[in-house]
Amino acid sequence: MRLAAPVLRQLLTAGAIGVLVFLLMRVIPGDVVDVLGIEGDLTEAEQQALRIELGLDAGWGTQFLRWVGGALAGDLGLSLRYNRPVAEMIGYALPHTLTLAALALGLGLALGVSVAAVAAARPSGVWPGLVQVLNVWSIALPTFCVGLAGILVFSIWLGWLPVRGQILMPVLVLGIDIAGQIAKPLHEELKEILATPFIRSARAKGLGPGAIVLRHVLPNAAGVLSAVSGLILAGLVSGALTMEVLFGLPGLGSLAFQAIAGRDWTVLQSVVVLFALGVIVANLLADLAHRLADPRVR
Amino acid sequence: MPEAPLSGWRLADSLDGPASAPVSPWRVPLLLLGAVALLALLGPLIAPQDPLWQDLAARNVSPRPGAWLGTDNLGRDVLSRLLAGARITVLVASGATALALAVGAALGLTALAAGALPASLVFGVIDLIRALPSVLLGLALMVALGTGVGPVTIAIGLSFAPTFAVVARQAWLRERAAAYVEAAVASGTHPAVILRRHIAPNVAGALITQAAIILPRAVTTESVLSFLGLGVSPETPTWGRMIAAGLPFVERAPHAVLAPVIALSVLTLLLALAGDRIRAAADPLRMGTR
Repeated sequence: MRLAAPVLRQLLTAGAIGVLVFLLMRVIPGDVVDVLGIEGDLTEAEQQALRIELGLDAGWGTQFLRWVGGALAGDLGLSLRYNRPVAEMIGYALPHTLTLAALALGLGLALGVSVAAVAAARPSGVWPGLVQVLNVWSIALPTFCVGLAGILVFSIWLGWLPVRGQILMPVLVLGIDIAGQIAKPLHEELKEILATPFIRSARAKGLGPGAIVLRHVLPNAAGVLSAVSGLILAGLVSGALTMEVLFGLPGLGSLAFQAIAGRDWTVLQSVVVLFALGVIVANLLADLAHRLADPRVR
Repeated sequence: MPEAPLSGWRLADSLDGPASAPVSPWRVPLLLLGAVALLALLGPLIAPQDPLWQDLAARNVSPRPGAWLGTDNLGRDVLSRLLAGARITVLVASGATALALAVGAALGLTALAAGALPASLVFGVIDLIRALPSVLLGLALMVALGTGVGPVTIAIGLSFAPTFAVVARQAWLRERAAAYVEAAVASGTHPAVILRRHIAPNVAGALITQAAIILPRAVTTESVLSFLGLGVSPETPTWGRMIAAGLPFVERAPHAVLAPVIALSVLTLLLALAGDRIRAAADPLRMGTR
Protein backbone atom coordinates (compact mmCIF):
# COMPACT_ATOMS: atom_id res chain seq x y z
CA MET A 1 0.00 0.00 0.00
CA ARG A 2 2.18 2.80 -1.23
CA LEU A 3 -0.69 5.25 -0.85
CA ALA A 4 -1.21 4.67 2.89
CA ALA A 5 1.72 6.78 4.12
CA PRO A 6 0.95 9.91 2.07
CA VAL A 7 -2.75 9.67 3.00
CA LEU A 8 -1.91 9.47 6.70
CA ARG A 9 0.50 12.39 6.46
CA GLN A 10 -2.08 14.48 4.61
CA LEU A 11 -4.74 13.68 7.22
CA LEU A 12 -2.35 14.82 9.97
CA THR A 13 -1.80 18.01 7.96
CA ALA A 14 -5.56 18.59 7.82
CA GLY A 15 -5.80 18.16 11.60
CA ALA A 16 -2.92 20.58 12.19
CA ILE A 17 -4.58 23.11 9.88
CA GLY A 18 -7.69 22.85 12.07
CA VAL A 19 -5.66 23.82 15.15
CA LEU A 20 -3.88 26.60 13.26
CA VAL A 21 -7.09 28.10 11.93
CA PHE A 22 -8.73 27.90 15.33
CA LEU A 23 -5.85 29.79 16.96
CA LEU A 24 -5.58 32.34 14.13
CA MET A 25 -9.24 33.24 14.52
CA ARG A 26 -9.01 33.63 18.28
CA VAL A 27 -6.15 36.11 17.81
CA ILE A 28 -8.27 38.34 15.56
CA PRO A 29 -9.68 41.16 17.68
CA GLY A 30 -13.45 41.34 18.13
CA ASP A 31 -15.99 38.55 18.08
CA VAL A 32 -19.42 37.98 16.60
CA VAL A 33 -21.07 39.68 19.60
CA ASP A 34 -19.10 42.88 18.96
CA VAL A 35 -20.31 42.84 15.35
CA LEU A 36 -23.90 42.15 16.38
CA GLY A 37 -23.54 44.80 19.09
CA ILE A 38 -22.56 47.47 16.55
CA GLU A 39 -25.33 46.41 14.21
CA GLY A 40 -28.10 45.95 16.78
CA ASP A 41 -27.25 48.40 19.59
CA LEU A 42 -27.01 45.72 22.27
CA THR A 43 -26.26 46.86 25.80
CA GLU A 44 -23.17 45.67 27.63
CA ALA A 45 -25.28 43.23 29.72
CA GLU A 46 -27.09 41.86 26.67
CA GLN A 47 -23.74 41.29 24.93
CA GLN A 48 -22.41 39.41 27.94
CA ALA A 49 -25.54 37.23 28.08
CA LEU A 50 -25.23 36.50 24.37
CA ARG A 51 -21.59 35.45 24.79
CA ILE A 52 -22.59 32.97 27.50
CA GLU A 53 -25.44 31.68 25.33
CA LEU A 54 -23.09 31.14 22.37
CA GLY A 55 -20.43 29.51 24.55
CA LEU A 56 -17.87 32.22 23.80
CA ASP A 57 -17.18 32.75 27.52
CA ALA A 58 -15.48 29.36 27.78
CA GLY A 59 -11.70 29.07 27.45
CA TRP A 60 -10.04 28.38 24.07
CA GLY A 61 -9.30 24.79 25.03
CA THR A 62 -12.94 24.07 25.89
CA GLN A 63 -14.17 25.73 22.70
CA PHE A 64 -11.67 23.77 20.62
CA LEU A 65 -12.61 20.42 22.19
CA ARG A 66 -16.29 21.22 21.73
CA TRP A 67 -15.71 21.90 18.00
CA VAL A 68 -13.48 18.87 17.38
CA GLY A 69 -15.73 16.56 19.41
CA GLY A 70 -18.80 17.73 17.52
CA ALA A 71 -17.07 17.55 14.13
CA LEU A 72 -15.90 13.99 14.74
CA ALA A 73 -19.47 13.05 15.67
CA GLY A 74 -20.67 14.65 12.43
CA ASP A 75 -22.00 17.84 14.02
CA LEU A 76 -20.32 21.08 12.93
CA GLY A 77 -22.38 23.19 15.35
CA LEU A 78 -24.44 26.31 14.78
CA SER A 79 -23.41 29.51 13.04
CA LEU A 80 -22.70 32.09 15.74
CA ARG A 81 -24.27 34.79 13.62
CA TYR A 82 -27.25 33.19 11.93
CA ASN A 83 -28.00 30.41 14.45
CA ARG A 84 -28.30 27.93 11.57
CA PRO A 85 -26.44 24.60 11.41
CA VAL A 86 -23.00 25.14 9.84
CA ALA A 87 -23.37 21.85 7.96
CA GLU A 88 -26.54 23.16 6.32
CA MET A 89 -24.83 26.42 5.23
CA ILE A 90 -21.86 24.50 3.85
CA GLY A 91 -24.19 22.01 2.20
CA TYR A 92 -25.87 24.88 0.37
CA ALA A 93 -22.61 26.57 -0.66
CA LEU A 94 -20.48 23.53 -1.51
CA PRO A 95 -22.22 22.49 -4.78
CA HIS A 96 -21.78 26.01 -6.18
CA THR A 97 -18.04 25.99 -5.50
CA LEU A 98 -17.57 22.41 -6.68
CA THR A 99 -19.44 23.15 -9.91
CA LEU A 100 -17.33 26.24 -10.57
CA ALA A 101 -14.05 24.46 -9.75
CA ALA A 102 -14.91 21.29 -11.70
CA LEU A 103 -16.07 23.16 -14.80
CA ALA A 104 -13.05 25.48 -14.73
CA LEU A 105 -10.67 22.57 -14.24
CA GLY A 106 -12.38 20.55 -16.97
CA LEU A 107 -12.26 23.45 -19.43
CA GLY A 108 -8.66 24.25 -18.51
CA LEU A 109 -7.51 20.64 -18.92
CA ALA A 110 -9.41 20.13 -22.17
CA LEU A 111 -8.20 23.39 -23.68
CA GLY A 112 -4.64 23.19 -22.39
CA VAL A 113 -4.05 19.56 -23.30
CA SER A 114 -5.67 19.76 -26.73
CA VAL A 115 -3.88 22.96 -27.75
CA ALA A 116 -0.53 21.56 -26.57
CA ALA A 117 -1.16 18.22 -28.29
CA VAL A 118 -2.20 19.75 -31.62
CA ALA A 119 0.74 22.17 -31.44
CA ALA A 120 3.11 19.24 -30.91
CA ALA A 121 1.57 17.26 -33.77
CA ARG A 122 1.58 20.24 -36.17
CA PRO A 123 4.60 22.38 -35.31
CA SER A 124 4.29 24.46 -38.48
CA GLY A 125 0.76 25.82 -37.97
CA VAL A 126 -0.65 28.54 -35.75
CA TRP A 127 -0.99 26.20 -32.76
CA PRO A 128 2.44 26.74 -31.17
CA GLY A 129 1.63 30.45 -31.27
CA LEU A 130 -1.64 29.78 -29.45
CA VAL A 131 0.28 27.90 -26.72
CA GLN A 132 2.42 30.98 -26.24
CA VAL A 133 -0.53 33.37 -26.20
CA LEU A 134 -2.24 31.24 -23.52
CA ASN A 135 0.95 31.16 -21.48
CA VAL A 136 1.51 34.92 -21.61
CA TRP A 137 -2.17 35.46 -20.79
CA SER A 138 -2.09 33.37 -17.62
CA ILE A 139 1.22 34.76 -16.37
CA ALA A 140 0.56 38.43 -17.01
CA LEU A 141 -3.19 38.87 -16.46
CA PRO A 142 -4.60 38.19 -12.98
CA THR A 143 -8.04 36.53 -12.98
CA PHE A 144 -9.35 39.47 -10.97
CA CYS A 145 -8.58 41.88 -13.84
CA VAL A 146 -9.83 39.52 -16.53
CA GLY A 147 -13.08 38.95 -14.60
CA LEU A 148 -13.67 42.69 -14.25
CA ALA A 149 -12.88 43.29 -17.92
CA GLY A 150 -15.30 40.48 -18.79
CA ILE A 151 -18.05 42.14 -16.72
CA LEU A 152 -17.43 45.45 -18.50
CA VAL A 153 -17.42 43.99 -22.00
CA PHE A 154 -19.97 41.17 -21.91
CA SER A 155 -22.36 42.33 -19.20
CA ILE A 156 -22.32 46.10 -19.50
CA TRP A 157 -21.55 46.91 -23.15
CA LEU A 158 -22.81 43.88 -25.01
CA GLY A 159 -25.44 42.97 -22.41
CA TRP A 160 -25.09 39.25 -23.15
CA LEU A 161 -24.77 38.11 -19.53
CA PRO A 162 -26.04 39.36 -16.18
CA VAL A 163 -23.37 40.95 -13.94
CA ARG A 164 -24.08 38.77 -10.94
CA GLY A 165 -25.17 35.19 -10.39
CA GLN A 166 -23.95 33.67 -13.70
CA ILE A 167 -21.27 31.03 -13.81
CA LEU A 168 -20.23 31.12 -17.48
CA MET A 169 -17.76 33.98 -17.19
CA PRO A 170 -16.00 32.81 -13.99
CA VAL A 171 -15.60 29.34 -15.56
CA LEU A 172 -14.13 30.87 -18.73
CA VAL A 173 -11.79 33.18 -16.81
CA LEU A 174 -10.47 30.44 -14.50
CA GLY A 175 -10.44 27.80 -17.26
CA ILE A 176 -8.35 29.88 -19.66
CA ASP A 177 -5.98 30.73 -16.81
CA ILE A 178 -5.52 27.02 -16.04
CA ALA A 179 -5.12 26.17 -19.73
CA GLY A 180 -2.29 28.70 -19.96
CA GLN A 181 -0.53 27.15 -16.98
CA ILE A 182 -0.81 23.67 -18.50
CA ALA A 183 -0.22 24.28 -22.20
CA LYS A 184 3.35 25.60 -22.17
CA PRO A 185 5.08 22.99 -19.94
CA LEU A 186 3.05 20.21 -21.58
CA HIS A 187 4.01 21.42 -25.06
CA GLU A 188 7.71 21.47 -24.13
CA GLU A 189 7.45 17.95 -22.73
CA LEU A 190 5.56 16.69 -25.77
CA LYS A 191 8.18 18.10 -28.14
CA GLU A 192 10.88 16.36 -26.12
CA ILE A 193 9.06 13.03 -26.16
CA LEU A 194 8.44 13.35 -29.91
CA ALA A 195 12.19 13.47 -30.44
CA THR A 196 12.82 10.14 -28.68
CA PRO A 197 13.62 6.86 -30.50
CA PHE A 198 10.43 4.98 -29.61
CA ILE A 199 8.40 7.64 -31.35
CA ARG A 200 10.61 7.22 -34.41
CA SER A 201 9.83 3.51 -34.46
CA ALA A 202 6.11 4.27 -34.08
CA ARG A 203 6.40 6.58 -37.07
CA ALA A 204 8.35 3.96 -39.02
CA LYS A 205 5.53 1.55 -38.23
CA GLY A 206 3.30 3.88 -40.24
CA LEU A 207 1.27 5.55 -37.47
CA GLY A 208 -0.03 9.04 -38.25
CA PRO A 209 0.94 12.05 -36.11
CA GLY A 210 -2.47 12.15 -34.40
CA ALA A 211 -2.32 8.51 -33.32
CA ILE A 212 1.28 8.90 -32.14
CA VAL A 213 0.42 11.90 -29.96
CA LEU A 214 -2.70 10.27 -28.52
CA ARG A 215 -1.38 6.78 -27.93
CA HIS A 216 2.32 7.18 -27.25
CA VAL A 217 3.13 10.75 -26.30
CA LEU A 218 0.32 11.97 -24.04
CA PRO A 219 0.49 9.07 -21.53
CA ASN A 220 4.20 9.71 -21.11
CA ALA A 221 3.62 13.40 -20.51
CA ALA A 222 1.21 12.80 -17.61
CA GLY A 223 4.02 13.55 -15.16
CA VAL A 224 4.04 17.19 -16.25
CA LEU A 225 0.35 17.52 -15.42
CA SER A 226 0.81 16.08 -11.96
CA ALA A 227 3.83 18.35 -11.42
CA VAL A 228 1.85 21.51 -12.15
CA SER A 229 -1.34 20.24 -10.48
CA GLY A 230 -0.39 21.54 -7.02
CA LEU A 231 0.19 25.03 -8.36
CA ILE A 232 -3.01 24.90 -10.40
CA LEU A 233 -5.11 23.72 -7.46
CA ALA A 234 -3.79 26.46 -5.17
CA GLY A 235 -4.53 29.01 -7.90
CA LEU A 236 -7.96 27.48 -8.48
CA VAL A 237 -8.96 27.76 -4.82
CA SER A 238 -7.86 31.39 -4.54
CA GLY A 239 -9.30 32.15 -7.97
CA ALA A 240 -12.66 30.58 -7.10
CA LEU A 241 -12.83 32.67 -3.90
CA THR A 242 -12.22 35.89 -5.85
CA MET A 243 -14.60 34.94 -8.67
CA GLU A 244 -17.41 34.06 -6.25
CA VAL A 245 -17.19 37.42 -4.50
CA LEU A 246 -16.76 39.29 -7.81
CA PHE A 247 -19.72 37.59 -9.54
CA GLY A 248 -21.89 37.27 -6.44
CA LEU A 249 -21.99 33.45 -6.44
CA PRO A 250 -23.22 31.84 -3.19
CA GLY A 251 -20.28 29.43 -2.79
CA LEU A 252 -17.78 28.63 -0.06
CA GLY A 253 -15.66 31.67 -0.95
CA SER A 254 -18.51 34.09 -0.36
CA LEU A 255 -19.40 32.15 2.80
CA ALA A 256 -15.82 32.45 4.10
CA PHE A 257 -15.64 36.14 3.24
CA GLN A 258 -18.90 36.87 5.07
CA ALA A 259 -17.79 34.74 8.02
CA ILE A 260 -14.55 36.72 8.36
CA ALA A 261 -16.37 40.05 8.13
CA GLY A 262 -18.98 38.92 10.69
CA ARG A 263 -16.51 37.08 12.98
CA ASP A 264 -18.58 33.93 12.54
CA TRP A 265 -15.85 31.58 13.76
CA THR A 266 -17.82 28.31 13.77
CA VAL A 267 -18.60 28.74 10.07
CA LEU A 268 -15.13 29.93 9.11
CA GLN A 269 -13.14 27.20 10.85
CA SER A 270 -15.18 24.44 9.23
CA VAL A 271 -15.01 26.08 5.79
CA VAL A 272 -11.23 26.55 5.95
CA VAL A 273 -10.62 22.96 7.06
CA LEU A 274 -12.90 21.83 4.24
CA PHE A 275 -10.83 23.88 1.76
CA ALA A 276 -7.63 22.30 3.08
CA LEU A 277 -9.17 18.80 2.86
CA GLY A 278 -10.32 19.56 -0.68
CA VAL A 279 -6.82 20.56 -1.79
CA ILE A 280 -5.38 17.46 -0.11
CA VAL A 281 -7.89 15.08 -1.72
CA ALA A 282 -7.39 16.72 -5.12
CA ASN A 283 -3.61 16.35 -4.81
CA LEU A 284 -3.98 12.66 -3.96
CA LEU A 285 -6.33 12.19 -6.93
CA ALA A 286 -3.83 13.92 -9.25
CA ASP A 287 -1.11 11.62 -7.95
CA LEU A 288 -3.35 8.58 -8.48
CA ALA A 289 -4.27 9.69 -12.01
CA HIS A 290 -0.56 10.07 -12.79
CA ARG A 291 0.12 6.53 -11.57
CA LEU A 292 -2.69 5.18 -13.71
CA ALA A 293 -1.74 7.09 -16.86
CA ASP A 294 2.05 6.85 -16.87
CA PRO A 295 3.29 3.30 -17.50
CA ARG A 296 6.65 4.05 -15.88
CA VAL A 297 5.26 4.74 -12.39
CA ARG A 298 2.46 2.20 -12.45
CA MET B 1 13.81 19.31 -34.39
CA PRO B 2 15.08 22.08 -32.06
CA GLU B 3 16.17 21.05 -28.60
CA ALA B 4 13.49 21.85 -26.02
CA PRO B 5 14.83 23.79 -23.04
CA LEU B 6 15.24 21.46 -20.10
CA SER B 7 15.08 23.84 -17.17
CA GLY B 8 11.63 25.40 -17.05
CA TRP B 9 10.07 27.82 -19.43
CA ARG B 10 9.92 31.55 -19.44
CA LEU B 11 7.60 34.21 -20.66
CA ALA B 12 10.31 35.63 -22.89
CA ASP B 13 10.52 32.38 -24.83
CA SER B 14 6.91 32.94 -25.72
CA LEU B 15 7.32 36.60 -26.55
CA ASP B 16 10.50 36.59 -28.55
CA GLY B 17 10.26 33.31 -30.33
CA PRO B 18 13.43 31.75 -31.69
CA ALA B 19 14.17 34.59 -34.08
CA SER B 20 14.11 37.54 -31.66
CA ALA B 21 15.23 41.00 -32.73
CA PRO B 22 18.95 41.69 -32.27
CA VAL B 23 18.18 44.86 -30.24
CA SER B 24 17.34 43.70 -26.72
CA PRO B 25 13.81 44.93 -26.01
CA TRP B 26 14.04 44.12 -22.33
CA ARG B 27 14.54 47.71 -21.27
CA VAL B 28 11.11 48.74 -22.47
CA PRO B 29 9.05 47.25 -19.60
CA LEU B 30 11.64 48.48 -17.10
CA LEU B 31 11.51 52.01 -18.54
CA LEU B 32 7.71 51.97 -18.47
CA LEU B 33 7.78 50.72 -14.88
CA GLY B 34 10.12 53.59 -14.01
CA ALA B 35 7.57 55.95 -15.52
CA VAL B 36 4.79 54.41 -13.42
CA ALA B 37 6.90 54.74 -10.28
CA LEU B 38 7.64 58.37 -11.14
CA LEU B 39 3.94 59.08 -11.71
CA ALA B 40 3.11 57.45 -8.38
CA LEU B 41 5.78 59.50 -6.65
CA LEU B 42 4.86 62.82 -8.27
CA GLY B 43 1.11 62.05 -8.29
CA PRO B 44 0.05 64.72 -5.78
CA LEU B 45 2.09 67.38 -7.64
CA ILE B 46 0.78 66.72 -11.12
CA ALA B 47 -2.78 65.64 -10.27
CA PRO B 48 -5.24 68.15 -11.74
CA GLN B 49 -7.52 67.92 -8.67
CA ASP B 50 -7.57 67.00 -5.02
CA PRO B 51 -8.49 63.28 -5.27
CA LEU B 52 -10.94 63.67 -2.37
CA TRP B 53 -12.65 66.86 -3.60
CA GLN B 54 -16.27 66.19 -4.55
CA ASP B 55 -18.15 68.19 -7.15
CA LEU B 56 -21.66 66.84 -6.65
CA ALA B 57 -22.94 68.91 -9.56
CA ALA B 58 -20.62 67.00 -11.93
CA ARG B 59 -21.16 63.36 -11.04
CA ASN B 60 -20.34 60.50 -13.49
CA VAL B 61 -19.15 62.97 -16.13
CA SER B 62 -17.57 61.34 -19.17
CA PRO B 63 -13.95 62.14 -20.03
CA ARG B 64 -13.52 65.68 -21.40
CA PRO B 65 -10.82 68.39 -21.44
CA GLY B 66 -10.09 69.37 -17.84
CA ALA B 67 -11.31 66.04 -16.50
CA TRP B 68 -9.36 63.77 -18.84
CA LEU B 69 -10.66 60.53 -17.37
CA GLY B 70 -14.04 61.90 -16.27
CA THR B 71 -15.49 61.95 -12.75
CA ASP B 72 -16.90 59.23 -10.50
CA ASN B 73 -20.24 58.79 -8.73
CA LEU B 74 -19.38 61.54 -6.21
CA GLY B 75 -17.98 63.95 -8.79
CA ARG B 76 -14.35 63.23 -7.91
CA ASP B 77 -11.70 63.46 -10.64
CA VAL B 78 -10.84 59.91 -11.82
CA LEU B 79 -7.35 60.82 -13.08
CA SER B 80 -6.38 62.40 -9.77
CA ARG B 81 -7.71 59.38 -7.87
CA LEU B 82 -5.88 57.03 -10.22
CA LEU B 83 -2.59 58.81 -9.48
CA ALA B 84 -3.24 58.76 -5.72
CA GLY B 85 -4.15 55.06 -5.96
CA ALA B 86 -0.97 54.30 -7.91
CA ARG B 87 0.99 55.70 -5.02
CA ILE B 88 -0.71 53.36 -2.51
CA THR B 89 -0.39 50.35 -4.82
CA VAL B 90 3.30 50.89 -5.54
CA LEU B 91 4.02 51.57 -1.87
CA VAL B 92 2.08 48.60 -0.49
CA ALA B 93 3.16 46.07 -3.15
CA SER B 94 6.87 46.87 -2.98
CA GLY B 95 6.81 47.15 0.81
CA ALA B 96 4.94 43.85 1.15
CA THR B 97 7.31 42.04 -1.23
CA ALA B 98 10.36 43.39 0.60
CA LEU B 99 8.83 42.37 3.94
CA ALA B 100 7.93 38.90 2.65
CA LEU B 101 11.49 38.43 1.36
CA ALA B 102 13.07 39.63 4.61
CA VAL B 103 10.79 37.65 6.96
CA GLY B 104 10.70 34.50 4.83
CA ALA B 105 14.43 34.40 4.15
CA ALA B 106 15.39 35.28 7.74
CA LEU B 107 13.03 32.65 9.18
CA GLY B 108 13.98 29.93 6.71
CA LEU B 109 17.75 30.48 6.78
CA THR B 110 17.89 30.86 10.58
CA ALA B 111 15.99 27.62 10.98
CA LEU B 112 18.24 25.83 8.48
CA ALA B 113 21.36 27.16 10.16
CA ALA B 114 20.08 26.12 13.61
CA GLY B 115 20.00 22.43 12.72
CA ALA B 116 17.74 19.64 11.57
CA LEU B 117 15.14 19.73 14.35
CA PRO B 118 14.40 23.49 14.31
CA ALA B 119 14.37 23.38 10.51
CA SER B 120 11.83 20.57 10.33
CA LEU B 121 9.65 22.31 12.95
CA VAL B 122 9.70 25.70 11.21
CA PHE B 123 9.16 24.25 7.75
CA GLY B 124 6.40 22.00 9.08
CA VAL B 125 4.50 25.10 10.18
CA ILE B 126 5.34 26.88 6.92
CA ASP B 127 3.96 23.96 4.89
CA LEU B 128 0.76 24.12 6.95
CA ILE B 129 0.36 27.81 6.22
CA ARG B 130 1.00 27.20 2.54
CA ALA B 131 -1.85 24.68 2.46
CA LEU B 132 -4.30 27.48 3.34
CA PRO B 133 -5.71 29.52 0.43
CA SER B 134 -3.57 32.67 0.30
CA VAL B 135 -6.57 34.96 -0.22
CA LEU B 136 -8.16 33.62 2.98
CA LEU B 137 -4.91 34.04 4.88
CA GLY B 138 -4.54 37.61 3.66
CA LEU B 139 -8.15 38.36 4.57
CA ALA B 140 -7.76 36.94 8.08
CA LEU B 141 -4.51 38.83 8.68
CA MET B 142 -6.12 42.00 7.33
CA VAL B 143 -9.00 41.69 9.80
CA ALA B 144 -6.54 40.97 12.60
CA LEU B 145 -4.31 43.95 11.87
CA GLY B 146 -6.89 46.60 11.00
CA THR B 147 -6.94 49.03 8.10
CA GLY B 148 -4.25 51.43 6.90
CA VAL B 149 -1.17 51.34 4.68
CA GLY B 150 1.01 49.71 7.37
CA PRO B 151 -1.37 46.85 8.24
CA VAL B 152 -2.14 46.06 4.59
CA THR B 153 1.57 45.92 3.80
CA ILE B 154 2.19 43.64 6.78
CA ALA B 155 -0.79 41.38 5.98
CA ILE B 156 0.23 40.88 2.33
CA GLY B 157 3.90 40.59 3.29
CA LEU B 158 3.24 37.89 5.88
CA SER B 159 0.96 35.91 3.60
CA PHE B 160 3.70 35.73 0.94
CA ALA B 161 6.60 35.16 3.39
CA PRO B 162 6.32 31.32 3.41
CA THR B 163 7.06 31.08 -0.33
CA PHE B 164 10.36 32.92 0.22
CA ALA B 165 11.31 30.58 3.07
CA VAL B 166 10.69 27.59 0.80
CA VAL B 167 12.70 29.14 -2.05
CA ALA B 168 15.56 29.90 0.36
CA ARG B 169 15.52 26.27 1.53
CA GLN B 170 15.59 24.92 -2.04
CA ALA B 171 18.53 27.17 -2.98
CA TRP B 172 20.32 26.34 0.26
CA LEU B 173 19.96 22.58 -0.20
CA ARG B 174 21.04 22.81 -3.83
CA GLU B 175 24.14 24.84 -3.01
CA ARG B 176 25.04 22.69 -0.01
CA ALA B 177 25.11 19.65 -2.29
CA ALA B 178 27.09 21.42 -5.03
CA ALA B 179 30.49 20.01 -5.85
CA TYR B 180 32.35 23.30 -5.33
CA VAL B 181 30.96 23.65 -1.80
CA GLU B 182 32.11 20.10 -1.09
CA ALA B 183 35.52 21.06 -2.41
CA ALA B 184 35.60 24.14 -0.17
CA VAL B 185 34.67 22.00 2.85
CA ALA B 186 37.31 19.44 1.96
CA SER B 187 39.98 22.12 1.63
CA GLY B 188 39.22 23.28 5.16
CA THR B 189 37.46 26.56 4.45
CA HIS B 190 35.69 27.98 7.50
CA PRO B 191 31.89 27.32 7.40
CA ALA B 192 31.13 31.05 7.83
CA VAL B 193 33.30 31.86 4.82
CA ILE B 194 31.58 29.18 2.73
CA LEU B 195 28.23 30.57 3.77
CA ARG B 196 29.16 34.13 2.91
CA ARG B 197 31.19 33.56 -0.22
CA HIS B 198 29.47 30.59 -1.89
CA ILE B 199 26.00 29.98 -0.55
CA ALA B 200 24.69 33.47 0.22
CA PRO B 201 25.08 34.92 -3.32
CA ASN B 202 23.23 32.01 -4.90
CA VAL B 203 20.46 32.03 -2.29
CA ALA B 204 20.12 35.79 -2.81
CA GLY B 205 19.73 35.25 -6.55
CA ALA B 206 16.92 32.76 -6.01
CA LEU B 207 15.19 35.12 -3.57
CA ILE B 208 15.35 38.06 -5.99
CA THR B 209 13.93 35.86 -8.73
CA GLN B 210 11.08 34.90 -6.43
CA ALA B 211 10.51 38.58 -5.52
CA ALA B 212 10.06 39.32 -9.24
CA ILE B 213 7.34 36.66 -9.36
CA ILE B 214 5.61 37.82 -6.17
CA LEU B 215 5.58 41.58 -6.90
CA PRO B 216 2.75 41.50 -9.50
CA ARG B 217 0.78 39.15 -7.22
CA ALA B 218 1.18 41.60 -4.34
CA VAL B 219 -0.23 44.33 -6.60
CA THR B 220 -3.28 42.19 -7.38
CA THR B 221 -3.76 41.12 -3.76
CA GLU B 222 -3.73 44.75 -2.62
CA SER B 223 -6.40 45.57 -5.18
CA VAL B 224 -8.54 42.55 -4.29
CA LEU B 225 -8.36 43.35 -0.57
CA SER B 226 -9.31 46.98 -1.06
CA PHE B 227 -11.99 45.89 -3.56
CA LEU B 228 -13.44 43.76 -0.73
CA GLY B 229 -13.36 46.82 1.54
CA LEU B 230 -10.51 45.53 3.70
CA GLY B 231 -7.59 47.54 2.36
CA VAL B 232 -6.36 50.92 3.50
CA SER B 233 -8.89 53.25 5.16
CA PRO B 234 -12.13 53.93 3.24
CA GLU B 235 -11.29 57.57 2.42
CA THR B 236 -7.96 56.76 0.78
CA PRO B 237 -8.33 56.34 -2.99
CA THR B 238 -7.06 52.93 -4.14
CA TRP B 239 -7.64 51.15 -7.43
CA GLY B 240 -9.57 48.32 -5.79
CA ARG B 241 -11.85 50.73 -3.98
CA MET B 242 -12.37 52.81 -7.14
CA ILE B 243 -13.50 49.63 -8.91
CA ALA B 244 -15.83 48.64 -6.05
CA ALA B 245 -17.30 52.14 -5.83
CA GLY B 246 -17.72 52.46 -9.60
CA LEU B 247 -19.37 49.09 -10.30
CA PRO B 248 -22.91 50.08 -9.18
CA PHE B 249 -22.79 53.06 -11.58
CA VAL B 250 -20.92 51.32 -14.36
CA GLU B 251 -23.65 51.74 -16.95
CA ARG B 252 -23.65 55.52 -16.59
CA ALA B 253 -19.94 55.93 -15.96
CA PRO B 254 -17.94 52.99 -17.37
CA HIS B 255 -14.78 55.13 -17.41
CA ALA B 256 -14.71 55.23 -13.58
CA VAL B 257 -14.28 51.42 -13.51
CA LEU B 258 -12.38 51.03 -16.75
CA ALA B 259 -9.58 53.42 -15.75
CA PRO B 260 -8.48 51.51 -12.61
CA VAL B 261 -9.01 48.10 -14.29
CA ILE B 262 -6.76 49.11 -17.20
CA ALA B 263 -4.21 50.66 -14.85
CA LEU B 264 -4.10 47.47 -12.78
CA SER B 265 -3.81 45.20 -15.83
CA VAL B 266 -1.06 47.32 -17.40
CA LEU B 267 0.92 47.43 -14.14
CA THR B 268 0.75 43.65 -13.58
CA LEU B 269 1.61 43.04 -17.23
CA LEU B 270 4.65 45.32 -17.03
CA LEU B 271 5.76 43.73 -13.76
CA ALA B 272 5.40 40.24 -15.25
CA LEU B 273 7.44 41.23 -18.33
CA ALA B 274 10.15 43.01 -16.33
CA GLY B 275 10.24 40.23 -13.76
CA ASP B 276 10.73 37.68 -16.50
CA ARG B 277 13.73 39.60 -17.80
CA ILE B 278 15.14 39.81 -14.27
CA ARG B 279 14.69 36.06 -13.90
CA ALA B 280 16.51 35.47 -17.15
CA ALA B 281 19.34 37.74 -16.05
CA ALA B 282 19.60 36.10 -12.62
CA ASP B 283 19.61 32.56 -13.98
CA PRO B 284 23.26 31.54 -14.45
CA LEU B 285 22.27 28.59 -16.67
CA ARG B 286 20.73 30.92 -19.22
CA MET B 287 23.22 33.75 -19.02
CA GLY B 288 24.65 34.67 -22.39
CA THR B 289 22.27 32.46 -24.31
CA ARG B 290 20.27 35.40 -25.49
